Amino acid sequence: MVKFYGLLRRRLRAATVEVAGEDLTVLALLRRTEEQSGQSFMDELLDRETGLLAGTIILINGENIRLRQALQTMVKAGDRLDLFSPAGGG
Amino acid sequence: MNGWMGKIVRIDLGNLKRETVAVSDEMRRRYLGGRGLGVKLYSDLCSSATDPFDDDNALIFMTGPLTGTLMTSGRYQVVSRSPLTGTICDSSSGGQFGAALKGAGIDGLIIQGRAAGPVYLSVHDGEVDVRNASAFWGLDTQKTQKGIQAELSSKASVACIGPAGENRILFAAIMNDKDRAAGRGGLGAIMGGKNLKAIAASGSRPVAISDPEEYKALADRLERIVDKNPVTGKSLQVLGTSVLVNIINAHGMFPVENFRRGVFNDAEGTSGEKIAETLLQRQSACYKCPIGCGRTTRTRDKQGEGPEYETVWAFGAHLGISDLPAITEANYACNELGLDTITMGSTLGCAMELSETGAWKETLRWGESGKLLEWVTDTAYRRGIGAELALGSKRLAAKYGRPELAMQVKGLEIPAYDPRGAQGMALSYATSNRGGCHMRAYMIGPEILGHPVFLDRFSTAGKAELVALFQDVSAVVDSAVLCRFLQFAVGISTFTEMLRTVTGLDFSDEELMTIGRRIYTLERLFNNRAGFNRGDDTLPPRFFNEEFQTGPSRHRRVRLEEMLDDYYAVRGWDRNGAPRPETLAELGL
Ligand code: SF4
Repeated sequence: MVKFYGLLRRRLRAATVEVAGEDLTVLALLRRTEEQSGQSFMDELLDRETGLLAGTIILINGENIRLRQALQTMVKAGDRLDLFSPAGGG
Repeated sequence: MNGWMGKIVRIDLGNLKRETVAVSDEMRRRYLGGRGLGVKLYSDLCSSATDPFDDDNALIFMTGPLTGTLMTSGRYQVVSRSPLTGTICDSSSGGQFGAALKGAGIDGLIIQGRAAGPVYLSVHDGEVDVRNASAFWGLDTQKTQKGIQAELSSKASVACIGPAGENRILFAAIMNDKDRAAGRGGLGAIMGGKNLKAIAASGSRPVAISDPEEYKALADRLERIVDKNPVTGKSLQVLGTSVLVNIINAHGMFPVENFRRGVFNDAEGTSGEKIAETLLQRQSACYKCPIGCGRTTRTRDKQGEGPEYETVWAFGAHLGISDLPAITEANYACNELGLDTITMGSTLGCAMELSETGAWKETLRWGESGKLLEWVTDTAYRRGIGAELALGSKRLAAKYGRPELAMQVKGLEIPAYDPRGAQGMALSYATSNRGGCHMRAYMIGPEILGHPVFLDRFSTAGKAELVALFQDVSAVVDSAVLCRFLQFAVGISTFTEMLRTVTGLDFSDEELMTIGRRIYTLERLFNNRAGFNRGDDTLPPRFFNEEFQTGPSRHRRVRLEEMLDDYYAVRGWDRNGAPRPETLAELGL
C-alpha cells in the first residue's frame, strides 16, 4: 500500500493506492504507482539528476529509505510506503 | 546608524522616570539585538536573586538590526526571567509589532517598576507615553487591541495581555497583531504583575540601510530563493505547520496521552491536510513575509487563528482528543485569554494522568473534548480546578506526589516530538536554556525532515556538535531578528549577507557563530547562577525507562548520557555544565 500525504495527496486526489507486484525497488514501485494512478507526482519527490530531493521523506513500514538503499531499497508484498514531499514546521 | 535606530528606552512604571540607555557600538556588534542584546541588558540590570515578580525585575521588548527591513522581519523578542521556570527566558512573536517599534523610533524598551494602577505604553516618535488602561483591564486580548487602536490610531500595533496575564498565570502569553503570541515562559504574567496591560507602537521612521542598491538586489534574490524552495514556497503556504502531524505520527513519535504512546490513531482527523479541507479560510502572514504559514480558520460558530502544529497536538493527541473544531476553539480561547497553548495543553495531559492514577481526585478524562473550553477559561481566571491547572504541570504533579508525570524540562513543558524518536532532539530539550523547548535547536530538521542534511534519528553520534551549532545559529536569528522558518530556505551565510547589507558592518559567518555562542553561554551563566546545572539538563524519567510497544519508535529509550559530556566538551563547559574560565575569556564574558 502506498500512502500519500500533504501536497501529494492534493495532487493525486487520493490518500492511498494499492500497487500490485512485489520485489520491486522503491523507484520501480513509484513508477508503477504513477502508471496505475494515471498521475505524475515524481517531480515533487525526486530531482532528475540527484535522486531524492532534499527533504523528501519515504518510509517503508515507518523506516526512512535513506537509512537503507534509498531508491534502490526493495519493497516486499504487504509493505506500507508513506510518501511525503519536502515539508517543514515547528 | 544603519540597521539599529540607536535608541533603547528604560522606563520605571513606579515613578514614571524615563531614560535612554547607553549602548555602545561594540555591545551592539557583540550581541546584535533581539534575544542577544536583551539577555545582555537583562543580566546587567538584574541578578539571579531577582524574583520574576519583583518590582525591580526588568521586562525587555527588543527588536534587532534587521527588524523592519528584509523579509520576515516584523518579529520582536521579549526577555526576562521566566516565572514558570526561573531560567532566563526570551519569547518570540511575529506579526508587525517589531517593525512598528522601530517605526516608532526605538530598538527596544526596558520596563521596570510597577504602576499604581492599570497602564499601557504608547511609543511614537522615539517617545514613550504612559496612559491609563483602566478601561481595558479585564478585557480579552482582541478587545484590548481594538480598544487601544480606537483610542490612538487604527495603525498602531498593540502587544497586550489578556485576563491570564492580569491574573499572573505562570504561562500567560503576550499577544500582538490579533493572534500572534510570545507564548512560552509566561512573560505575560510579568506584565500583569507590573499592571502593564499593553504596549502600542506606531510611526513611520525608516530604518537606515547601508547599501540601498545591494539591499534591493538581495530582497529580490531572497524572494526567488524562498519561492523556489518547496518548504517555504509551497508546503508552509498550503498546509501550514500542521503538515507535521502526519509526518511525526508516521515516525511513531507523535506524543499521545501524556507521552505514553507514539502513534495517534486519529492523527489524520487533526492533520494539516484536514485543517486545509475543513476549517481553513485563508493563509495569513506576518510583516513582509512571502511564506505566510498562519491559518485563519472558522469553526461552525467562531473564527480566529490557528491551530498550529504544537497546538493541534497539545489539545489533541496529547489529551486523546480528535475533535478538530473543539481543539481549534480551545486555541481561540487561549489567544483571547492570553495563554501559552503548549503549557496549557500539556498541563491538562498531566492532570488527566494524575486523575487516572488516582493521585488527584478530580476526574479529567482522556478524550473529553466537551470540557476543554471550560478548563482553559477557568485556568485564566484561577477558578475551580483552573486554580490548580494554573500551576503548570511541574508544580501540579509535585503537589500530588507524582512529579515524574509532568512532561517538562526545567519547568517548561516539552512540545510535540517524543524524544525517544530522535536522540538529538532529546539532547536539545535537555540542554535548552529556557527549558523544554524545540526552538533552541530544531533537531527535527536533520533527524526527521532531512534538513539541511539527513541523520539517523536513533544514533547519538555527532549529535552533540550539531545541537550546539544549531543552538548558536538560532541565537543569531533570534537576535537579528528574523523568523526561524526562513532557515528552511537559507543558512548562516545569507544571514551574514543580510546583516552586512543593512548595517554596513563587515560581519563574517565565523563572527556570527561566535556571537551565537556568546549569547548561549551568557544565558547559561545566568542559569548557573540561578542554581541550574547538570542535574537539570535532563528529561522526565519516562523517556529513560519506558518504551513504546508499537510503532516505528518502539523499543527505544533516550540515551542522554552518551551525548551530554560530549556536548559540554564542545561548549567548553565543565562536567557540571558550567562554562570554563577560558571559554568565558574567549567569548569576552
Ligand atoms: S513564516 Fe510564518 S511565522 Fe514566520 S514570519 Fe512568515 S507568517 Fe510569520
